[in-house]
Amino acid sequence: MTSPSIQAAPSPGDAIDRHARGPLLTAIGLAIAWLVLSGVFSLIAAIQLHSPAFLSGCEFLTHGRVRALAESAFIYGWAGGSGIAVTVWILGRLGGNSLRAMNWFGAGNAFWNLGIAAGLVGIATGDMTSFSFLQLPRYVQPLLVFASATMGIAGLLAWSGRRRDGTFASQWYGIAGLVLFPWALTAAQISQLWVPLRGVLQAVGAAWYVDAVVFLWLAPLALASAYYLLPKLNRGVLPSYEAAPLAFWLLVVAGTWGAGRHLIGGPVPAWIPTMAVVGFSLLLYHFSVVGLNLRGAFRAEGAEAGALKFGVGAYVVFGVVAFLGCFRSIALRTQFTHFASATDLLFLYGVVSMLFFAAIYFVLPQLTGRPWFSSSLTSGHLAGVKVGIALSIFALAVAGLSQGSMLLNPKVGFGEIASGVRTYLLVNTAAQLVLLASNLLLLVNFWRSACTCCGGAEKAEGSVS
Amino acid sequence: MKNGPLFLLGLFLSAVVAWSAIVLGAHAQLGALTPWFDEGEGSSFPPRPTGLAARGQLVYADLGCASCHTQQVRRPDFGSDKERGWGDRQSVARDYLFQIRPQIGAARVGPDLANFGGRKPQAPSADAVLGLLHSGSERHPAYPFLFETRAIAGEPSSRALKLSGVSAPASGHEVVPTERAQTLVAYLLNLNSTYDYPEAKPLVKAPAKQEGKK
Amino acid sequence: MSSSKDPNPVQASTRASDDSLQADHEKVLGKQPDEKGNYRLLPLNLLFLLSAAILFAGTYLGRFSGYFHPKVYDEYGHPPKAGAAAATAAVDPLVLGKNVYAQVCAACHQPTGMGLPPAFPPLAGSEWVAGSEERVIRILLHGLQGPIKVKGVDYIGAMPAVGPGSGYNLNPEKVAAVLTFVRKEWAGIDTPVSAAKVSEIRGKDGSRQPITVAELEKLP
Repeated sequence: MTSPSIQAAPSPGDAIDRHARGPLLTAIGLAIAWLVLSGVFSLIAAIQLHSPAFLSGCEFLTHGRVRALAESAFIYGWAGGSGIAVTVWILGRLGGNSLRAMNWFGAGNAFWNLGIAAGLVGIATGDMTSFSFLQLPRYVQPLLVFASATMGIAGLLAWSGRRRDGTFASQWYGIAGLVLFPWALTAAQISQLWVPLRGVLQAVGAAWYVDAVVFLWLAPLALASAYYLLPKLNRGVLPSYEAAPLAFWLLVVAGTWGAGRHLIGGPVPAWIPTMAVVGFSLLLYHFSVVGLNLRGAFRAEGAEAGALKFGVGAYVVFGVVAFLGCFRSIALRTQFTHFASATDLLFLYGVVSMLFFAAIYFVLPQLTGRPWFSSSLTSGHLAGVKVGIALSIFALAVAGLSQGSMLLNPKVGFGEIASGVRTYLLVNTAAQLVLLASNLLLLVNFWRSACTCCGGAEKAEGSVS
Repeated sequence: MKNGPLFLLGLFLSAVVAWSAIVLGAHAQLGALTPWFDEGEGSSFPPRPTGLAARGQLVYADLGCASCHTQQVRRPDFGSDKERGWGDRQSVARDYLFQIRPQIGAARVGPDLANFGGRKPQAPSADAVLGLLHSGSERHPAYPFLFETRAIAGEPSSRALKLSGVSAPASGHEVVPTERAQTLVAYLLNLNSTYDYPEAKPLVKAPAKQEGKK
Repeated sequence: MSSSKDPNPVQASTRASDDSLQADHEKVLGKQPDEKGNYRLLPLNLLFLLSAAILFAGTYLGRFSGYFHPKVYDEYGHPPKAGAAAATAAVDPLVLGKNVYAQVCAACHQPTGMGLPPAFPPLAGSEWVAGSEERVIRILLHGLQGPIKVKGVDYIGAMPAVGPGSGYNLNPEKVAAVLTFVRKEWAGIDTPVSAAKVSEIRGKDGSRQPITVAELEKLP
């Protein structure tokens, strides 16, 4: 076992970001809190799927609103908050200079979280927009654009003021994520909420935004973490790295062409779903190269490596599943079912959450100069989320396929469909419970590791010896 | 990727081109869509929803009904939508022309509602819908907050729900739908888009056709 | 804290430094010592994958693009031909005629076509309805004034014009449709009245005073 004193020794890069500790840790901590809250909402939503009467008397927690609450808290609160924080840190490290504009980051993060809180209250009281991934009420949307842009400034400055001439993959993906999100959110807001397009075009804009969040924001931020962590853990050059630039550009260029996969068979001209197949065919290269580059994760050791393995594997699987889902013959069986939810969760939990967990486990000791408070909480959390995510995705996927084949048979009524998938939905509820419990472990672990108030951190130092 | 401004420009252009192609491209094609005037009927389709129904759509949106119901009928040879009585033809862009916030939905935990007001042999009655919204069922949540339970003052209200059993109110009380419930039901029963636009006509396919995948 | 699963097994000092990480990877992307040109080729298998993907995407797009036409919702479909819209918009004249009758004529001639003697003559069984096209078209286009005998009963004609240029301003298609409907419904005549004929007569006669029975009887 490595002795605690070596573990606690700061690495060469620590001096760079020591002053950024406050804003970054606050951002990550709040993000984890949003994760737990979104877990509560997801659990309620999961229960309501098989037992619709659960909490149905409460207007704020009616099923449609609870789904929107869970989704918004997860995407913006957890994924956005932690992703941007971790990416800024990575860009700082790769830039080789002390992180600048951290006051801006802190202010941006404060507004980000306030906006999300106000937005969630708005959703609960009936202002949700009814667009997937864009449910926060329109009055908080401009605030989110401003906040994310402000937070991104620190990352942008770290990259533009970098010491080295060249750039590394994490920097490409990181900058892409930081820069494209405010723009994508602005475009979506305008076309959906402020100057709404007419009729079914709102659905087209909404589908585009879903894919923009996935491929232009969260996937780049997650990949930035993955590309940084793996060579750090493995001490080597990533294999097939020369193919990486093209893979990056294909993601940015063709990432949102797949928007039509949400509109297969829908009231839109046929070219829109067809373009999804074209886009995803190009993205096959991207997923293959990312898989090739990051395959070393499967022989790395340690807690972060475990999360990294899961995330990388999930990303490649997600690519394949999403590609297959673009074809109309397959969409016939999976569209409108829980399978579509499972695909979303495969990305949101399996890829984004896991890669950000890996990043957080790596980043916190670098920022605080101390190891995590409890390795058993760490391993408990990671084991729990892996089980929870896998179980949830599997249960929803099977439920979805079963539901899909029953929907195709006109003689099967919705009562029969509901009882047919009930067991899987119960498994999903159990999985959501496991996820919530595990994320609570992370919250506790983080609080004890990062907070110097309440004697949390001092206790950790004391117990180490 | 070394050249900062060029890299940022490349990022911006890539995303802008994709957005323009899909969103603005679709807008260029469908943004100026007009209603279709039918000489025989002497009116244009789709008809504008009534004010009550239009407000009902906003209630539908803020309750998040679209998380379990779709409002898009697929064409007859793509799924069982027609056999389930959800619609004889595919939904097309014109069907949503006058809707403030089309709720086409993405999940069918419950049935498609695009032609709810035109179900055969007959559309559901307002009372049945209000009853379902108030009390729920074993597979549909209840929305009791859309209703008001109040003491009967003088005559019972004509709008009072006829409830029995567990969901019935205490004696001397009645359950009356609030305005939100009424607009929601008006919206749901107004949902009926059956006019056969030329672009909605199903394709006559040659008998020996390839499977669609490749 | 001596559990076997250590969160940070690799000691911080032995981890790859950020600088060496970047240097190593830049070397991969940079010009190699044995390269003469400025570009590096992709590994062959990835190149094949990308080419295959582009080929597949192109073929799929070629087959299922719907020609990027806004009216093609079925991926197997073709854009509608230019005249197709007009053809599909062709309205059944009986349906159109029935609607026009209900809106314009039924007030006086009654929905049953029985009229209201002694004011409004019946259409059912009327010899004028069953009679020549030339006459009945003119009645609608110009209106009718003066005495008229229908089914042996005298009426004082006060029929307003309903064709183009009149208060009702029905286009030739609608005039033809209502005549087709009335003749089929109450005279059993299947041959439709054509809009072209109506236009022709309108063109010939122009806009004029309501016609009288004397003038009508001069017509074939």
